[in-house]
Amino acid sequence: MNKFMAWIDERLPVSNFVRNHLSQYYAPKNFNFFYYFGALAIFIFILQIVTGIFLTINYKPDAAQAFASVEYIMRDVEWGWLIRYMHSTGASFFFVVIYLHMFRAMLYGSYKNPRELLWLFGMVIFVLLMAEAFMGYLLPWGQMSYWGAQVIISLFSAIPYVGESLALWIRGDYVISDATLNRFFAFHVIALPLLLFALIYLHLAALHTTGSNNPDGVEIKKNKDENGIPRDGIPFHPYYTVKDIFGLSVFLIIFTFVVFFMPELGGFFLEKDNFVPADPLKTPEHIMPVWYFTPFYAILRAIPDKLGGVLAMGLAIFVLFFLPWIDRCSTKSIRYRSSTYKTLLTLFVISFFALGYIGMSAATPLLTWAGRLFTLIYFGFFVALYFTSANEKTKDVPDRVTMHD
Amino acid sequence: MIRLLAIIVFIFTSSLSFAASGSIPLKPVLIDLNNKASLQRGAQIYVNNCLGCHTLKYQRYVKFIDHLSLSKETIENNLIFTTDKNGEPTKIGSLMLNAVNPDSAKEAFGVMPPDLTLIARSRGTEWLYTFLISFYQDDKRPLGVNNALYPNVGMPHVLSWMEGLKKPVNLEKDQYEYISKGTMSDKQYRKSVTDLVNFLAYVSEPAQLDRYRIGFWVILFLAIFSFIAFLLKIEYWKDVK
Repeated sequence: MNKFMAWIDERLPVSNFVRNHLSQYYAPKNFNFFYYFGALAIFIFILQIVTGIFLTINYKPDAAQAFASVEYIMRDVEWGWLIRYMHSTGASFFFVVIYLHMFRAMLYGSYKNPRELLWLFGMVIFVLLMAEAFMGYLLPWGQMSYWGAQVIISLFSAIPYVGESLALWIRGDYVISDATLNRFFAFHVIALPLLLFALIYLHLAALHTTGSNNPDGVEIKKNKDENGIPRDGIPFHPYYTVKDIFGLSVFLIIFTFVVFFMPELGGFFLEKDNFVPADPLKTPEHIMPVWYFTPFYAILRAIPDKLGGVLAMGLAIFVLFFLPWIDRCSTKSIRYRSSTYKTLLTLFVISFFALGYIGMSAATPLLTWAGRLFTLIYFGFFVALYFTSANEKTKDVPDRVTMHD
Repeated sequence: MIRLLAIIVFIFTSSLSFAASGSIPLKPVLIDLNNKASLQRGAQIYVNNCLGCHTLKYQRYVKFIDHLSLSKETIENNLIFTTDKNGEPTKIGSLMLNAVNPDSAKEAFGVMPPDLTLIARSRGTEWLYTFLISFYQDDKRPLGVNNALYPNVGMPHVLSWMEGLKKPVNLEKDQYEYISKGTMSDKQYRKSVTDLVNFLAYVSEPAQLDRYRIGFWVILFLAIFSFIAFLLKIEYWKDVK
């Protein structure tokens, strides 16, 4: 075995790679609950790729056959229903995990110097993931697939001068049609997964360059022992591999519970209207995107002007890219930050949930005004953060990480 | 021009009926996919009364062998009434189709009777149950009946030979009186409709028969696995101070 590894290592630095990134890659020893979600996101990415390959084997990207081919998978393909439910549930859980992963970064300042690039790569992944999910949702060719895509793509037509042509170019037709389905299929199964793969690689490369942040926001690399090993670091393997295996198995209990017992999750993961084949002549009563888009959809609807709504929705995502520069406080972790930041972040989280709820409800005058209020709070968070963070009253950050058990 | 007017009137009235649907509260129905006898009775009612107009175009007859515990002969003799394009009896592996001509159907009912494979998932079982017990006499409608849940629906009351026909005493309060008797009592009719809805719930997602059963074992395995993984984590992390 050793001889074999030596032979390989002369030709490909496998052992070296394992040392650098696993067995001698030092991660802070004080990771808490929120640090499971990065590894879980990678797990779901792989799960989506694998289940996606199996779905592609029987799926037909053809407006006349797509809906029936999904039902064929659900009924006549051996274990097809399981593969499909894992994929559909995986899509929703991907967003659950990613939102928690991003929230973790906001809690502990993981986007701050020196990890700005890491955050930017992550944000690009988030945007790509939204595109991936949006295009994947068209593929079952149900009523909500069709009309959801119709509504979202028509948003592009709000852009002055080029809007109509742009929407036409994206659809490849004047309405969502077979042409749209074909290109979305191409993007969903090849183009975006490849880009995601590349971005995840860059995200991890950036992470392993700076090392992980931690709940105390202490840079463990600043305190090394005589061998050059961070005193607060532990080798990723075996410590975090065994911990992540535990985290993954608990996650899988929740995940498989949904897959086996409530794959529709009361209409949140699979919408009722999507069990009706797409009908271009019949608009559903209430068009709503899947839950993970509803906070941004609520911001879109909060603005009375179509172009304004589109810009606001775009800005709601775009502004997150600049978080490392909007938040000017040098203290990273919320544990040592001011009550101002804690209050702002709490309001931000409340507004995100509220917008999510408003985005999935039918518009009423009251909800529209609530939507405007929470949109203000959403953007207000960034404005207030920019002005309060420069001279924030923070507590003293310890030299070493603290352990809470 | 007349066609255009007809379309406008149709759009207007159909959107009205759509807005009015769901005007009465849905009634609860007990779905039990383990009750094979109920599923079998439901299948029988369906092929005898519904399949003539409403296909189940994603469902295959052959699945009833495993799912409904029926023998191949029983299915061929009692559930398959159609023929294929050569005039031979439909093969058991076929999808549950019918011979409705879309143009004639549109002429008769105004719309093509929809496929019902997934109706229990898109409308819900309570909706189906309530719909099927909410037909009443209405001479203003072309087919002589209307529906309290789905006003001005194009469908005739196909099951009136079972239920009889009722006319509303107070539509809002859901009060009716029977003006003609069917072959069943009110209670028997509701039970038959329950069987039918139960069958449609099964047809909408046959995987339900498997997934609850398998899910239990998967989660049991994962629970044990998590416990062992937890012990392993504790063991490794002993030396992290």
